[in-house]
Amino acid sequence: MSHPPTLTDAPTTDAPTTNRPDVDLGTDEDVATDRPWIVLVWNDPINLMSYVSFVFQKLFGYSKAKADRLMLDVHHKGRAVVSGGTREKAEMDVFRLHEHGLWATLQREDR
Amino acid sequence: MILRRRKALAFQRDGERTVVLLGPDERDLMADLARQFHAVVADDDDPALARLYPTAYVDDRERQDDYASLVHDDLVRTRLDAADVVLATAHSESLDDDELASWMQVLNGLRLLLGTRLDVSEEDGFDPEAPDAPQRALLAWLGFLLEETVGAASDG
Repeated sequence: MSHPPTLTDAPTTDAPTTNRPDVDLGTDEDVATDRPWIVLVWNDPINLMSYVSFVFQKLFGYSKAKADRLMLDVHHKGRAVVSGGTREKAEMDVFRLHEHGLWATLQREDR
Repeated sequence: MILRRRKALAFQRDGERTVVLLGPDERDLMADLARQFHAVVADDDDPALARLYPTAYVDDRERQDDYASLVHDDLVRTRLDAADVVLATAHSESLDDDELASWMQVLNGLRLLLGTRLDVSEEDGFDPEAPDAPQRALLAWLGFLLEETVGAASDG
């Protein structure tokens, strides 16, 4: 994420600026179906930090503190789990994040 | 902890509405950019547009195809509608919250398009001598405006 140089910069990390999702969903559908789905937001070099936090608050009703924490996780760790549930709910959340220009994916929760 | 009050420079919250503090030239530029954004999104063939339609299912081609066919037209439509709103309100004194949301969507969409074309990274500094300096200056200006809309929306 980028942010104006006039703001207090969070310490930058040596994390790569893009992180290709490299998840392995596995192929065993029968075993996997009882696992809930999670929604991930991935770091990108264009979106503003304040905007990302704002979108988390707007879409999920998170407090500013929680939204900021998730946003900083995305920024520093390259991704964060921002919501989850049934596949239908997770897919709707991903759609709304895409509508707001965030790079979001969904996958089954790891065991 | 220090509570710092933001000084609004471009968008200022005023009760239920947001006052637009942009000058006439900036408004003309926003209208022009909204027009261009509308055209690029409607044509739907610019490679940089891929960033506006991310992959939802990275390891499941079938579900991804279903998802894309389900949402693509909606994602196009919502962006075209937002561009129309910005065009219609580019010279308005103030915006309601729906109009402000449309401005945010267009500002962010423009940044994603422009940033993708410029292949920006988080480490990029601004070099006024670089050949793409005008585009990068525009990207920074759009970021300033988006930052301001976030501030105004958060004050609401």
